[in-house]
Amino acid sequence: MELALDFLKNTGFAMADWRYLMMILVGILFCYLSIAKKYEPLLLLPIGFGIIIGNIPFFKGFGLGIYEDNSVLHYLYFGVTSGLYPSIVFLGLGAMTDFSSMLARPKLMLLGAAAQMGIYFTLLSALALGFDPKESASVAIIGGADGPTSIFLTAKLAPHLIGPVAIAAYSYMALIPIIQPPIMRLLTTRRERLIRMPDTERHVSRKELVFFPVVGVLLCCFLAPASIPLLGPFFLGNILKVSGVVDRLAKTASSAVIDTATIFLGFTVGASTQADVFITPKALGIFLLGSIAFSIATASGVLFAKLMNLFLKEKINPLLGAAGVSAVPGSAREVHLTAQKEDPGNYLLMHAMACNASGVIGSAICAGILWSFMMG
Amino acid sequence: MIFDLSRIAANNGWAMALTGAILVLLGLSLLSLIISQLHKILGFFENQPKSLPVEEIKPTQQASHADLLNDLEATVTLYQSLTAGLGERFDLAQLYRLAHKDQLPHPHLTLRTLRENGFLIASGDGTFSWKNA
Repeated sequence: MELALDFLKNTGFAMADWRYLMMILVGILFCYLSIAKKYEPLLLLPIGFGIIIGNIPFFKGFGLGIYEDNSVLHYLYFGVTSGLYPSIVFLGLGAMTDFSSMLARPKLMLLGAAAQMGIYFTLLSALALGFDPKESASVAIIGGADGPTSIFLTAKLAPHLIGPVAIAAYSYMALIPIIQPPIMRLLTTRRERLIRMPDTERHVSRKELVFFPVVGVLLCCFLAPASIPLLGPFFLGNILKVSGVVDRLAKTASSAVIDTATIFLGFTVGASTQADVFITPKALGIFLLGSIAFSIATASGVLFAKLMNLFLKEKINPLLGAAGVSAVPGSAREVHLTAQKEDPGNYLLMHAMACNASGVIGSAICAGILWSFMMG
Repeated sequence: MIFDLSRIAANNGWAMALTGAILVLLGLSLLSLIISQLHKILGFFENQPKSLPVEEIKPTQQASHADLLNDLEATVTLYQSLTAGLGERFDLAQLYRLAHKDQLPHPHLTLRTLRENGFLIASGDGTFSWKNA
């Protein structure tokens, strides 16, 4: 009888408190959103299930939890804390990215740079709110709207914040259809939203596509060497794809490799949201700042596009600025849909993808720059 | 959490934000500039080695058409290649059709010139053969 009572005391039912139950509900919500609403299912589902698993109360000292040495979860989590999974994800992303749209429209790259202003605005806000500089940089990178980049930088600068930062980053990426359209409409006139972009762009040769990863990695990584762990694999993945001589490697990188990393990344990040570690005032501050970062990033892209229009003969649709955040392809799709609501014949998807691709590079450069600043 | 702007200055925030923003804008602007010129640079290198043989071949080809009648030996060689499949003796109308089909300039005038200069010899039965055949 005593043995049975002792056992019952050590079950999750006896040890659970409201924080664990709340986090489990959050995990269930994520699973629901990913399955029923199809919001970023590739990431939200592993994260949601990871949250559920990470918040099952257990007896400390058994080597079960993600923060306990020698636990299986801890070993899997090493891929996050070391920055391994984000690098592998970037390799796969590179192998999946088609830069021809961006190479045909180089001026749209500037929108990818402008949308990174949300990062620096949030850096200032986080500092003003009392986060230390490394934490501020980790929170600020949410404005890049790039999950792996956010996780990578946070793992390097403020590993204790990986959970909240990752959850905030992926949550806001999933909420793009809700966050971005009101900002886009608020900052543009109907006339601007009706601007059509030219369909016919010059043909991008295979040689250009092959040269671009080399030029890109040299320029970006010479500028911000700390972005090598992200941009190195990213451009490697891309050259595997465009070279046409290693199709097998490119296919593996863009399927099995990225999928494996995504599963473990999502799962362990979800499991790292253990209630006793996760529910803190700082986590709430991170969620607040994350939403600001994302909104400012969207707004700065749109406003920069309007600024460019002051100097350009052939005007660009300012909605494209919102696709400068690197949430691929969610923000590009949202820009396209917003434009189509005004004019069903206006096709902005390919142009928006150019901004998106540039945003991925931009946010990785920003991560490298911030890392360098904090280490310097 | 209280919002305090003095913390930004205390942590060198303004300088970090400004420098970071400038660096990313500069980096992507430079990359944008380079990729906008990339096709021209590649085109330049692609055309360099090829331009020489092209230039050498083109004038020769043009000469073989325009100066066909002036360079009779070249004309004979060209027209002999047309009759290669017709046998030793051939009909002039056939040769005319082949020349016309290959869009050689002035086939009628050329055949007349070749006859007048003795390159095409009548066999007496309505067919012709080449002088050196």
